[in-house]
Amino acid sequence: MKDLSHYGPALCVKFYNDYVLAGYGPFIHVYDYHSATLINKCRLFHYNKVHGLSLSSEGKILAYGARSVTIVELEDVLKKESLVDFERINSDWITGATFSFDNLQIYLLTCYNKVLICDLNCEVLFRKSLGGERSILYSGIIKVFGPDKVYVNAGTVMGGVIIWDLFSETKIHNLLGHEGSIFYVNLSNNGRYVASCSDDRSIRLWDLETGKQLSVGWSHTARIWNLMFFDNDSKLISVSEDCTCRVWNIIESRENVAELSISNVYEVHLIKSIWGVDVKDDEMIAVTSGNDGRLKLIDLLQLKRHGDEETSFSLDDIAKQCGDIFEKNESIKGFQWFSFGVIAITSLGKILKYSDVTKQWKLLLTNEKFNSYPITNGIQTQNIAVFSNNKSDILLIKFSKDSADIIETEEFHLDELSKTNNCLVTEYDDDSFLLTLQSPNPREKFVCLEISLQNLKIKSKHCFNKPENFSSSCLTSFRNHILVGSRFSTLVIYNLLDESEEPFIIRRLSPGDTTTSIEFVEDKDNSAVFSVTNRDGYYVFIELTKNSLEEGPYRLSYKVLHSNKMMKGFLEGAFFNSKGEYITYGFKSSLFYLYNETNCYELASEVCGGSHRLWNLAKITDGHVLMYIKASRFHLRKIYNSIVPETLENGVHGREIRDISICPVSNTNTNDNFKDGHIFCTASEDTTIKLGYFNNRTGKVQNFWTQRKHVSGLQRCQFINHKLMISSSAREELFLWELNDKYNKRPYMTIRQALPVSTNNPDLRIMDFDVKFISQSGDFLLVTVYSDSTIKIWHYRENQNKFDLIMQGRYKTCCLFNVVFIALKEELLVVISPTDGHLVVYNITEYVPFSVDPISGDLVDHKLDPTISNLPAPVAQLPVHQSGIKSLDYVANATRTSATILTGGDDNGLGLSNLKLDDSNKVTLKTSDFIAAAASSTITSGMLINGGKEVITTSVDQVIRAWEITAGKLSLVDKKRTTVADTGSLDIISNDEDADSDKTLLIGGVGLSIWKK
Amino acid sequence: MGKSSKDKRDLYYRKAKEQGYRARSAFKLLQLNDQFHFLDDPNLKRVVDLCAAPGSWSQVLSRKLFDESPSSDKEDRKIVSVDLQPMSPIPHVTTLQADITHPKTLARILKLFGNEKADFVCSDGAPDVTGLHDLDEYVQQQLIMSALQLTACILKKGGTFVAKIFRGRDIDMLYSQLGYLFDKIVCAKPRSSRGTSLEAFIVCLGYNPPSNWTPKLDVNTSVDEFFQGCFLNKLCISDKLSHWNEEERNIAEFMACGSLQSFDSDATYHDLPSSVAGTSSSLDPVQSPTNPPYKKALELKRSGKLTRSV
Ligand SMILES: C[S@@+](CC[C@H](N)C(=O)[O-])C[C@H]1O[C@@H](n2cnc3c(N)ncnc32)[C@H](O)[C@@H]1O
Repeated sequence: MKDLSHYGPALCVKFYNDYVLAGYGPFIHVYDYHSATLINKCRLFHYNKVHGLSLSSEGKILAYGARSVTIVELEDVLKKESLVDFERINSDWITGATFSFDNLQIYLLTCYNKVLICDLNCEVLFRKSLGGERSILYSGIIKVFGPDKVYVNAGTVMGGVIIWDLFSETKIHNLLGHEGSIFYVNLSNNGRYVASCSDDRSIRLWDLETGKQLSVGWSHTARIWNLMFFDNDSKLISVSEDCTCRVWNIIESRENVAELSISNVYEVHLIKSIWGVDVKDDEMIAVTSGNDGRLKLIDLLQLKRHGDEETSFSLDDIAKQCGDIFEKNESIKGFQWFSFGVIAITSLGKILKYSDVTKQWKLLLTNEKFNSYPITNGIQTQNIAVFSNNKSDILLIKFSKDSADIIETEEFHLDELSKTNNCLVTEYDDDSFLLTLQSPNPREKFVCLEISLQNLKIKSKHCFNKPENFSSSCLTSFRNHILVGSRFSTLVIYNLLDESEEPFIIRRLSPGDTTTSIEFVEDKDNSAVFSVTNRDGYYVFIELTKNSLEEGPYRLSYKVLHSNKMMKGFLEGAFFNSKGEYITYGFKSSLFYLYNETNCYELASEVCGGSHRLWNLAKITDGHVLMYIKASRFHLRKIYNSIVPETLENGVHGREIRDISICPVSNTNTNDNFKDGHIFCTASEDTTIKLGYFNNRTGKVQNFWTQRKHVSGLQRCQFINHKLMISSSAREELFLWELNDKYNKRPYMTIRQALPVSTNNPDLRIMDFDVKFISQSGDFLLVTVYSDSTIKIWHYRENQNKFDLIMQGRYKTCCLFNVVFIALKEELLVVISPTDGHLVVYNITEYVPFSVDPISGDLVDHKLDPTISNLPAPVAQLPVHQSGIKSLDYVANATRTSATILTGGDDNGLGLSNLKLDDSNKVTLKTSDFIAAAASSTITSGMLINGGKEVITTSVDQVIRAWEITAGKLSLVDKKRTTVADTGSLDIISNDEDADSDKTLLIGGVGLSIWKK
Repeated sequence: MGKSSKDKRDLYYRKAKEQGYRARSAFKLLQLNDQFHFLDDPNLKRVVDLCAAPGSWSQVLSRKLFDESPSSDKEDRKIVSVDLQPMSPIPHVTTLQADITHPKTLARILKLFGNEKADFVCSDGAPDVTGLHDLDEYVQQQLIMSALQLTACILKKGGTFVAKIFRGRDIDMLYSQLGYLFDKIVCAKPRSSRGTSLEAFIVCLGYNPPSNWTPKLDVNTSVDEFFQGCFLNKLCISDKLSHWNEEERNIAEFMACGSLQSFDSDATYHDLPSSVAGTSSSLDPVQSPTNPPYKKALELKRSGKLTRSV
């Protein structure tokens, strides 16, 4: 067994020239951060994680983690695969380490507040300590100010920060003020300040000379793990369990008075915990590393780098520049961004232009018709501004590309509508754009105009019937169709070639607020995919299909391919960026946000006061511009694309991966994009399921989606065939998902059905489930086991998309951990493993309306009337483990007369049992082998591979073991350590049909590792 | 901590409330005792409970040694309980608020015992977990090593030591070290400890340190120095940091404690089994409300002072 790749907690990061060095498990990763390329992964430790790094100006790296320490050359780290031969072990945990002033020695601070002074060969020269202060530390650093001035800063568990002089071994301060354990301490380079953080979630700034507390900073909502001074000690940066990175200004007012003031918050990692942070002062870039394995680069000058990020004007400012005076109640009623700047309209019909070059406002014209409820739109790429009012007047103005001169205007009135309450525009073809007008009167038509891009004349007019409750909110065109989003999460599709055709209506795509955007995504054959966002936070991908001519008259149909919900707030729109990542935007509380949904981090945010305001977001060549009104001021906020890559590594889940499932390859999948690896799912304690893809050869993982349907931590996820997946968790949540991997850019996955729950306020955990398909159909039997000892069997019918309960019962009162269906001969057995360590077998053949095909073992449907029957009494019970069985797997023999069952337990044991049907179909169950100390901790998963000849187990002791089975006996053949803590899940796939071929192993816990066997 | 719905369904929680224990942990000690009977020894007189707050183990010890003991002579019995947190008084128990990893604490406990030896030492200590599994496991093991230092100084030969462990990556190294001090080491898991948690208990029977080793407590020696010459597998502290080497590891025997009829702490119960029915309907938290270090932060959050404004 060999590891291919690993994603998991990254505990430390450092900039070094053009590189970012990150402690990644027992490895150091080196990246060229300007191009986000991983230059090398170098293993430093046998299996301890790298917790900290210190660099010397001579290109030496001092790395430490747990009791390990090493000194290596950067040159080697850039090239070599492993430098573990240099690893040294100390007897105590190393909390902090650094080079001496002359780089000829190293100082190691242990968790018992002792410092070892060593030479570069790790020869201990001196041991230093502070008498009587030997209790355990969670944190501490050594700060070297000069050859003779070295301060040790120790954070104790009782709330004190002890600062002592290394050489004189004398205490300088015991800073008291915090409550709880101190999690980090740092000193400013100029030696003025101490900053510390503790379990109390505050940051405290102290005067190093006097020991006086200067300021307390509250802002983080969970524990703070790291902090550092930067920008000539004028700022602090902190990272926390709350997954944010925060920047603080140190405001010095008088001598010896300084105040911490929060200046920025970056929500950039997944729950939970950011561990490491570093700042590149000359570029003002930060890098953070988290429990999610992500390495995130942050532009600390997001508001200042280009100089024009933030501009705002009061109406007075604007009026003055225009040489005009605004009326008392006059206000800005709309604005639109064009290549030259902004076009805006006031409540009195004044049309204003703002030049982004001269930064000046100018009054272009006044048209009093447009003082009643003006609506502003624009075709940005063509510099065409569109104004409408509630009396169905329309004003079109076309500007020249660069100088913003008016080159064409056109005004007309639409007689078809008595009134208008909305006007929308969209691009159409090379010569024209589309404009829709809607009347509040439900009987009046929905009008769509095709308008020439050249002379702004109407080329054609379409009047469509309006469905009930229709209120247009967004618009896009696709070929000869327009897709109109409406209130109540409705989508209406009109055919521009045939006005008389009834519109195609899709209702209630999500719970039901206003549709905020529709975007074409990709197409294949006769189908096209659109992304649809809703203000309520849901986004849905729909597939629209036009039937082929052979299939009869023209008809549209649709299917939901994907649906998901944003964490919180209002979702106003979404698009794909150039890297194919899905970017969403909207509001949450008083913020406007741009969010990378594919990899789950905030791109930018703006405190604009919330969603109830006039606003507009437009694309510019190198980013976006947000325009909004706040407290009667017009604001322009430019959100530039980051000058450095946003991430160096995207990582996986930030909490434990409870289950992993690899999508079995289907022969129907001819999608070349997924042929070098596999699509897979991970189900996590963080309540999400991620859908990703790994490359078989490199082990590289790509994230596609993070599904947020579950509200409790996941227990299980399992692909039941090449397109269906089931996930389960607490609160009786079990969902059936459908995967679609036919499109080129990415797979999609949506909920097909949820399992019925037993009460309105379910509090049972669905611990496990198994599925048995009914021969030649998409129907299946599902067995679910619960934390209250309940066992339920369900019949799922594909054409009705429905789960019917057909059997239920209880084992005892204890929790059930695992379940499998086993079909032997013509009998259908259910095997469960409760927390009492038994294997319990039920024969349900006679109680379900199905039989087992004696040849294939598949179920045959007898179409009998479904009734709910009771679970029969068990036919066999066998104590195998002393306590809970955590993993259960089986293989049936070729003749399907017996099955080998593998069990792994909380008792460290690994059991092999034989389940057999004798000639009279009586079940016998015997343990053929039991290894009591198969691991030094709980065995969390075990799988039988190669037709039951081999076994792979994972356990909490972080060891992956390979076993062989001969004549019903297990023997250990291989054993490797993994850096994945809380190792809890495993899935294995053969790389081709042949059972003996090489295999890929996915191992999950706190992190994800991919192995080859 | 208030009462969450989880608490309401937790039968051990209800049972603790009913029987007047401050925490459901009491049943872990009781179930361990059901298996090993270390508290049923009539000669059990002097015990130390480390990391004892809020005090349910001390309550069990107090009941076993005093209230339930048939012996009439209880003069020389003694229970000393230590924790970082303050504890409200328990009859017959001397409490001490201190950090057990601090060398001075051990000296204070020794002083309370005078020249007498203890018969039993237990520690249910758990550090604040950070989420860094290796660090959390290490700190947990350091709590055990501190407890063990005290044990080495105070436990009589043949005495018993019980401590909470988390069965993680390096637990087998701990087992192997304990093997040098005791005749028998068992990893016991009471049924009242959740199967889904890594928690278990080491039960170390028959204290029997190497004859050529004398424990000496000094405020300035490290744990490692303390056990020099005891853990024969350990390299001596030398003037060079040692190269990496695979350390000795041993897997202790596993034993599930508490009968299969006892409640399953992973299960969800609907109807209350008769043994716990009849508990008064209002279930206040058993554990007295804690005073977490982040109390102020919680207050600020509640009053909206931590909402993002930048
Ligand atoms: C699970 S509780 C003990 C419960 C207790 N056995 C009972 O039954 O009530 C763990 C205790 O360990 C204590 N603890 C953790 N680290 C400690 C240390 N260094 N010194 C003393 N007590 C510590 C904590 O304060 C906490 O009260």
